Amino acid sequence: MSTKKTVVACSLSMREARSESAQEVLTAARLLAEPLGASLTWLVVGDAGDDLGEIGGRFGAGSVEVLRQRGDTLPGEEALVAALAAAFEQERPQAVVFAQSFIARSVVPRVAARLRSPVLMNVLSAAASAGGAVSATASAFGGDTHARYDLVGDPPHFLSLLPRAVSPLPVAGLARPAQVVERELPAPAEGDRVRVVERPRLLGPRLEDATIVVSGGRGLGDPSRYQLIEALAEALGGVAAASRPLVDEGWVAASRQVGLTGTVVQPELYVAVGISGASQHMAGCSAARVIVAINNDEKAPIFRYARLGVVADAAGFLPALIDALKGR
Amino acid sequence: MGSSEPAVRIVVCAKEVPDPDAVNAYAVSGRLTIGEDGKTIAQAAVPLLMNAYDEQAIEAVLRLRDAGHECSLTVVTVGTTRPEYLRKAGALGADEIVQIHHKAAHPDTLVVGTLLAAYIRSSGGADLVLCGRQASDDDQGVVPAAVAEELSFPLVTMAREIRLVGRQLTVVRATPDGDETVECTLPAVVSVSSELGTPRMPTARDVIAARAKKPTLIDSAALGLDDRALAPRLILRSLVVPQKTGSCEFIEADSSANTARALVNRLRDLGLAIGSGASPSG
Repeated sequence: MSTKKTVVACSLSMREARSESAQEVLTAARLLAEPLGASLTWLVVGDAGDDLGEIGGRFGAGSVEVLRQRGDTLPGEEALVAALAAAFEQERPQAVVFAQSFIARSVVPRVAARLRSPVLMNVLSAAASAGGAVSATASAFGGDTHARYDLVGDPPHFLSLLPRAVSPLPVAGLARPAQVVERELPAPAEGDRVRVVERPRLLGPRLEDATIVVSGGRGLGDPSRYQLIEALAEALGGVAAASRPLVDEGWVAASRQVGLTGTVVQPELYVAVGISGASQHMAGCSAARVIVAINNDEKAPIFRYARLGVVADAAGFLPALIDALKGR
Repeated sequence: MGSSEPAVRIVVCAKEVPDPDAVNAYAVSGRLTIGEDGKTIAQAAVPLLMNAYDEQAIEAVLRLRDAGHECSLTVVTVGTTRPEYLRKAGALGADEIVQIHHKAAHPDTLVVGTLLAAYIRSSGGADLVLCGRQASDDDQGVVPAAVAEELSFPLVTMAREIRLVGRQLTVVRATPDGDETVECTLPAVVSVSSELGTPRMPTARDVIAARAKKPTLIDSAALGLDDRALAPRLILRSLVVPQKTGSCEFIEADSSANTARALVNRLRDLGLAIGSGASPSG
């Protein structure tokens, strides 16, 4: 008498589907599906990918549905909203979990608002009961607090999961590849009302892919000292980044910002120079394997997150560190 | 009756929030606590102020005026706020300030979006609706999307620059990959990010003049929304302060050079591939 319940893990691009964040989303969605007695579907926007069935199966998806984009251009946000809203309105899954990204921040609340279904962004963890209740904890006040919410009302319950909030957990034992079904991504009925006239041109490597990140903060004191951050990044073989005050002051491009409102990074090594350690910033880098803090204030909260610390002024210490790295 | 374009009606949706810097100062000193209700910050010393992203949305309107566009500006908020907060919007150049009273003390994001959209519809519509990218208390960023969907307007998020030519809107968005420029035709909803730059302060004269501006008070019951549209979909159960305890190994030697060498050696001990050979291109 009851229709089959599903929980959907959703990846908005092929690049995302093949990244660790998709595995985090699949894991979070599976942990919701189990108590609900629901099957797990992985919905991917992109082109055909033979590897998706294997990845999906490994993380417990019963099926993989590919919404195929036209050609190699990514669909616009309007097209994504229309296609996802149509898909979920028909199927009415219990919950849909997304990886929070720049595009998810725009698309997920619109899909939920179009369906008038509950939505929570910045999700750190989520749980479901056998009765169908869904609750979740989200970061608030830039990470200074965590807020626990009950999601109520008609499913689907939309959750946007922060990167690195959940550790990927493959299913136990030998997994069977999931069946992959493809269909065309429908065009929005009203056409794309927003036209992209100039795409972003990323200068240098992507911050979120970097294995070594060197960030500068307000403690540098003077914009000219940011050159020391760039020089240290080069000497370490990493990428230069910044905390939000430097971006707000216009020293550094927004694309270089690490934090809750910027990029969430997960490098092997994160070097924070002149950064106090505000929660907003730490939400973007606390998943690094090793954090090194360089700050002249020994009481700075960054030292509570750091594995290694040096109490020193950037202007004096960074040239010495660069020399040491170059074997001088 | 000249040949000039008709004024563009701009509505900025604004929210009053606890000062996030004050909250953070309590948090980093380990003194942030939650009140007896389990849902709000206990510190009475945390001041309330206009969400900084919403101030930047107002600044975006002032820049359109600076560029010669005739814009009417309505600032609308949901909930009870202090008079100072509304006066600031008036001093910055709002022609009208609207406060929507709703029976629920803390309506959820979709309900707030529904109320704001209903007000905009009932007051003759808008050409452009601006919101901050998110409120700095709940960090959700759902309201701009909810307003856009309720009004069936297109949404452009994360604006760092807004330009207008006739009814053609050009928005530069701050994306993690750099700036993206998009165009759309009014009406539209745009959310504004901090990259727009520091908002201006009202002059003392404007602050005094703004005292005469009385906010328009609207009860949500007058907006013609049914119970289903106003049913909460998120219920806040509790707010907690996450605990941080660290174990930092401090490196210190008799000179900067020796401290630097000791640090490099520790990094290599930890198996980190630093320096030569690991450099990405670019």
